[in-house]
Amino acid sequence: MSPPAVLFEGVSKIYPRPDAEPLRALRDVSLRVPQGRSVAITGRSGSGKSTLLHLAAGIDEPSEGRVEILGADLGRLNDAERTLRRRDQIGLIFQFFHLLPHLSVGDNVALPAMIAGERDYGGRVLELLERVGLADRARERVDRLSGGEMQRVAICRALLRGPELLLADEPTGNLDDRNGQRVMELLLELAAEGQRTLIFVTHSEEMAAMADTRLAIHSGVLEPS
Amino acid sequence: MIRYLLRGFQAHLQSGRSLFVLSVLGVALGVASVSSILILNRSALGAFEGSVRAVSGDADLSVLPLTPTFSERLYPRVLASPDVERAWPLYRVDVALAGADEVYLEVLGLDLFVPRDVPWSEAPRDLGQALTTPGFVAVSPQFARAQELEVGDRFEVTSGSRRVSLYVGALVDFRSLTPLASTTLVVTDIAQAQDLFGRRGELHQIDLTLRSGVDASTAIRRLERRLGPSVRVRAPEQRTAEAAGLLGAFRLNLTALSLISLFVGGFLVYVSTRAVLVRRRGEIGLLRAIGATRAQTLVWILGEVSLLGTLGVGLGLSLGYLAAAANLERISGTLTNLYMLEAVETLDVPPRLLLLSGLLGIGGALAGAIGPALEMSRRNPRSLLAGFVAEERLGRVSGSVACLGLCMLCGVALWCYWVGETWRARGFVLGVALLLTLPLASPYIVRTATRRLSPRGFGLRYGMKALGLRLHSTAFAAAALAVAVSMLIGITLMIGSFRRTVDLWVGETLQADVYVTSESWRRARDAAALDERVIRGLAEQPEVIAVDRLRQFFAYTGERRISVAGVGLASPPGRVPYQLIEGEQGPALEAMQAGAGVLISEPLARKAGLEVGAALEIATPSGPRSFRVVGVAYDYTSELGGAVMSLETMTAAFGRGAISNLALYLQPGTDVQMVVSRMRRQWSDVPLRIRSNRDIRREVLEIFDQTFAVTRLLQVMSLLIAASGVMLTLIVLARERVSELALYRALGARRPQIFRVFLGKGLGIAAFGLGLGAIAGVLLALVLIYLVNRAYFGWTIAVYWPWRAILEQLATILLAALAASIYPALRASRTPATELSRESL
Repeated sequence: MSPPAVLFEGVSKIYPRPDAEPLRALRDVSLRVPQGRSVAITGRSGSGKSTLLHLAAGIDEPSEGRVEILGADLGRLNDAERTLRRRDQIGLIFQFFHLLPHLSVGDNVALPAMIAGERDYGGRVLELLERVGLADRARERVDRLSGGEMQRVAICRALLRGPELLLADEPTGNLDDRNGQRVMELLLELAAEGQRTLIFVTHSEEMAAMADTRLAIHSGVLEPS
Repeated sequence: MIRYLLRGFQAHLQSGRSLFVLSVLGVALGVASVSSILILNRSALGAFEGSVRAVSGDADLSVLPLTPTFSERLYPRVLASPDVERAWPLYRVDVALAGADEVYLEVLGLDLFVPRDVPWSEAPRDLGQALTTPGFVAVSPQFARAQELEVGDRFEVTSGSRRVSLYVGALVDFRSLTPLASTTLVVTDIAQAQDLFGRRGELHQIDLTLRSGVDASTAIRRLERRLGPSVRVRAPEQRTAEAAGLLGAFRLNLTALSLISLFVGGFLVYVSTRAVLVRRRGEIGLLRAIGATRAQTLVWILGEVSLLGTLGVGLGLSLGYLAAAANLERISGTLTNLYMLEAVETLDVPPRLLLLSGLLGIGGALAGAIGPALEMSRRNPRSLLAGFVAEERLGRVSGSVACLGLCMLCGVALWCYWVGETWRARGFVLGVALLLTLPLASPYIVRTATRRLSPRGFGLRYGMKALGLRLHSTAFAAAALAVAVSMLIGITLMIGSFRRTVDLWVGETLQADVYVTSESWRRARDAAALDERVIRGLAEQPEVIAVDRLRQFFAYTGERRISVAGVGLASPPGRVPYQLIEGEQGPALEAMQAGAGVLISEPLARKAGLEVGAALEIATPSGPRSFRVVGVAYDYTSELGGAVMSLETMTAAFGRGAISNLALYLQPGTDVQMVVSRMRRQWSDVPLRIRSNRDIRREVLEIFDQTFAVTRLLQVMSLLIAASGVMLTLIVLARERVSELALYRALGARRPQIFRVFLGKGLGIAAFGLGLGAIAGVLLALVLIYLVNRAYFGWTIAVYWPWRAILEQLATILLAALAASIYPALRASRTPATELSRESL
């Protein structure tokens, strides 16, 4: 039996503050996401959605509890090992796309492969761009793209190395409804095609409804939506 | 406002310590360069002024010879002048302290009967003792202490081939008159000085005071008319001004080089100010939103920069003083060896000089900050609060800016060509235009080159590619480095070419096998006479087949002080010690030896506009006398210029005088070092300097290297500032690009990879700086060699490429830039992925 894509067991995240009570961003969160599923997490700003994603990505470490990604206990890994897991198994998508303006569209997509030291990635980059309808713009600067196009490039970047887990933080939060809908559909489609697990955070109930599972987070406490 | 300014400054200091430290360091090093050179320049003149004041005291005027000495028969004529209240004669001669390595004393022969304010710190018991004790002298307390002498002790000095025993009869402290007075002044009775070191009946100077109400310039005219053409009359300030004029080119060149460091320091302030302002734009936007005017914003920003500049100035002045102190001996050596001026013993740091350095430092800092400050103060509050990408504008206009720079450079070059040699400073103008072109062209070059760069991986190349995005930081860091590199390469190339030219020239002109002079010659010149017995003895050595004789002193042509040499050439055929730039060597030398004319040095020909066939008028004891120029010779011994004539011509024109130097030609196949060693043993009781051709060549190059040692210090300072610039820029990038770095970490980039990317940025800045700097450096070297040197020093320098030195320096700069990248790269690599902000990158 394959391990769950994401497993949180009694996870809390506390941020100490110099002149105030510590901030409890997550409180005793337990979560099990089987591989190949899509999960939407909704919640208000500051409820702990992004913290949850950061912990799942191994960007941050829990103050209490255990986080397991694809069978690996992140707490037992050092920073370098967590980084390699993230590089090889996780794809990240951000609300503000985080594309690098000094790189072309193609180079932005290729960035994870460059970081991984791959040499032969040109074909895959074009293939993905073709899949999202941007193959003819591979050499263009990213600042000439629309918001929706930028997010499509960011999705390509996240998918390039074939990650088993996709984590998306408000992927449609910076897009209008029509573009948001399209991007979300594309993201779900591409995740499903590769049997990937997708966890995304959103404000939108409409987008959340497109996922297999919906969860809500309130003041750091995770509960079924 | 002031309170807000101080609070802001404090916050800036706390939040960006490395940024702050590097900015202060940039200003400090620039100020250190400028102030050290200003202090050294001032001290050189101060030493001369000190000597004038110590020797001439409160004299209104001095009667000085146009030739080495003048007859003491002029003294009664001075006294008889109705303008003169008091007058006293002086005999001055430089001697070497026996047994010491290059310690020289200036013996001052005074008429002790003339009432004169001598600052005795320990006076002679009675005047009779001073007159009757052989070798009675008064030395300074400092000299006595240094040589462990007490009143009543004897010590030995040498003058030419003579050894003279002196008796410490009293102590005299000229520093009580003026703090810059030399501690190596030695006072004796004038008759003793003439007897011991020269000839009776000759004087070097008459100092005088004028009757009250007599106008100095009128008195000068009357006295010069009364005393005839062999002397000139000068006020102390005129003498100092002449010394300043003599050193003008030397001082100007050093000052110009030191200003380049300040120029480079200005870039650091630019980069840091911009970084700070970009970070604090929200704060500025808020201030503007709640009612601060643009002018207030500008004053606030510039106020902070002034505070930073003030700290840099404080540190820079201290560093400058230390650098000046460390180079005092070298500068002193240059002044005494090349300009025959007084040695500099102490630093003179008047408050106005500190003020000037401080103003230059703060001015440089403000000049660096004014661009970003104006840009920020002009923005409306909305755009400040919303954030902006200022780089884009520079990127868009970079082509036009580069074009403007190149057009300016071409325009200045054409103008320099058009004005020709009529304006000496054209070389400097072209040099400045060249250096200004670098910051103007670098944004375009960095942008174009990085755009074309295709990153193949996430490492060095990727780091370089990203440089084009932050042109305001990266392009100007590259430009600052390019300016420093151009200075380094330009001066290395110039000095390397000059050194090689001198080396070849020495090889061509030092034809004799052995050179003989006395220990005191380097300072005393014609007063360092070689005894006829010594000359005969050396010439009669079995291996010697020919002897060239030299007599040399300084004289005047118009207002120009030149070296005049009388030579008795007996050199074998084909071994002629002159290489002509103009005129045919054989006929010219024949004419010179036959008394039909003189050879002149290249600097004199250029500065006085003389050529073969022209008449050179030199002051002689009987008045100005014309000599036909029969050839112009290469000469790198001094920028003052000189003339060479036959000994017979010299005797006829200037009277009899002593030989001070010999050049001995040995039989072919002789072991020169063996002969030199034997001669040294044989003449060990005579204070001679006997050197082989090889020794003297080495010594010439040692003096050459000493002369340019200060230049190297300036190069190093400029390079340090530029390396700080690279570090500062990368720190700025690491701070500004935290989100980008966090993204890389989020995408799986390991710390060593981020480290490599940042090294790549450092390498990229270094590569652009080196590339641009190398090109500009070669051009700068050509400007220095063909325009500045010829105009100010009058030397022809052939261009040689000191490849090894240049490659070593380029490698050093590259390593320095990489070393400067390590700290920011480490900082950047430690950026956690959690720093990924929600804002756009």
